[in-house]
Amino acid sequence: MKRAFLIEMTVLKSYVRQLVGLGFFVSIFVSIGMQRIVSVPGVLTMMMFMMGSMSAAAYDEQSGWGLFRLTMPVSRRDVVLARYGVILSLGVVGALVGLVAVAVLTVAATAVELPAGLSAALAFSPENMQATLFASMFCMAMGSTISSIVTPIYFRLGQTKATQYIPMIVLLIFIVPFLVLGGTGVLDAGSVHLEGIMRVLAEVLAFIETPAGVAAFSGAALVFVLAVLGISATVSLKLYESREL
Amino acid sequence: MSFASSESADVLIKASGLTKHYDGFSLQGVTFAVAEGEVVGFVGKNGAGKSTTIKALLGLIKLDGGAGAVLGHDSATLSHPEGARIKEQVGVVFDTISMPGHLKVSEVARVYECAFATWDQRAFQSYLGRFELPADKAVKDLSRGMGMKLSLACALSHGAQLLILDEATAGLDPMARDEVLDLLREFVAEPGRAVLMSSHITSDLDKIADRVVCIDAGRIVFDRYKDEICDQMGVARCRVADFEAIAASSIIPERELVYLRHDYGIDVLVPDRFAFAENFPQVPCDRMTIDDYLALTLKGGVR
Repeated sequence: MKRAFLIEMTVLKSYVRQLVGLGFFVSIFVSIGMQRIVSVPGVLTMMMFMMGSMSAAAYDEQSGWGLFRLTMPVSRRDVVLARYGVILSLGVVGALVGLVAVAVLTVAATAVELPAGLSAALAFSPENMQATLFASMFCMAMGSTISSIVTPIYFRLGQTKATQYIPMIVLLIFIVPFLVLGGTGVLDAGSVHLEGIMRVLAEVLAFIETPAGVAAFSGAALVFVLAVLGISATVSLKLYESREL
Repeated sequence: MSFASSESADVLIKASGLTKHYDGFSLQGVTFAVAEGEVVGFVGKNGAGKSTTIKALLGLIKLDGGAGAVLGHDSATLSHPEGARIKEQVGVVFDTISMPGHLKVSEVARVYECAFATWDQRAFQSYLGRFELPADKAVKDLSRGMGMKLSLACALSHGAQLLILDEATAGLDPMARDEVLDLLREFVAEPGRAVLMSSHITSDLDKIADRVVCIDAGRIVFDRYKDEICDQMGVARCRVADFEAIAASSIIPERELVYLRHDYGIDVLVPDRFAFAENFPQVPCDRMTIDDYLALTLKGGVR
């Protein structure tokens, strides 16, 4: 698996450099819009997860690379596990690069007086740190979920064919549960204690705003990321083993 | 259908009744072998089943029947983790450079270095020099010929024992093709090595192949030593009267009298051109080329 991981990283290296640059570019505009920089690591994390899985699948189809790679001393299993290793690594790299960038900006804003009130906006505060960490972990969970959905489809159908089906599949995954809940009347008054749920949700959200809450959420998010990628990898292994290339 | 035997030496590739069904095409009981020290040319029309056979041998597709073996290991195991050790010793070149286009030549080497424990960077650098390949050029910017040279340089730089080449000389100019053929000769001269080479350019096989295996519509049509075709056989360029005389003479058994009609005459496949010349000195009989043999076998009629 190590060989397949290193091969994948070599293939993606130059693209990752471009992606980090693009991520910072997007982050600048998001930060200007929000008047805060807490979203920078989240934006980078999300982009790395999503674009990493999509571009790796796209490269597989370039000049028959996906097929040719299997003539090298790697197995289909290696290819799948390496792909998930790369996706996770890119997501973590995105988060770390974002966090380092936020830290550097915060230190710079504290050390030097920046114009246009930037020093105040970028100044260190425990709330900003909590929000940054929460946004990063939330985006990591979201990014890994999306990667976990699309990657098995890419492994089964290939990137070109999968692109036709992914919008429909994603729509079904996110819309159908709500249609089922609405259609079955589960959400009708009396059937579910919506007030109770909303109260618990509010308590959870209030807890997440505390340092202990952010720590607990981060831990839960990491477990979730590993679990969802693990399940997705298991599915991909089965799908890729049986795929005719 | 004729088959040459490879049983005397160590067999590096063995295809035993390879069968694979697709919509509109089937590989049907493909059987042949490649022995140590051999260069085997694998010929056939487009869509005849050459690439499918190569994929089957490399374990890239699941077979419906039969079995392939590479370096003594079942092809089906090549796609599994235990097959990695075997694939270290197999150099593969497909008909295009099968690498993402954005990679530079030096990065392609890095990919191979990650993949093959036996990667020899010095050998690769030497091939780059020999082929005049710039290390900083992206794969997408290489011409088809340059791309094939890069693929060959990679396949020859990891200590492979066996080369499997699918149309590897396609797109190369004649001088580059000769250079590649020289490299393949050098490669196969080392003990324990062999080459399976599919090609449409039969003149390359005339120069280098020890044996020629022909596939058509998913079936092996012939498997013969090249010398048997090129040194012993001939093409008799007949008029109709000559053709009838040859048929009547029984120098070629009637069931084996393969011929191809042209506007200007009839070509007849002669199994022994020297014996033929003695019997029919008035009929011109040329040395058989692989191209002639292919045309007569695939398009010719049997009386």
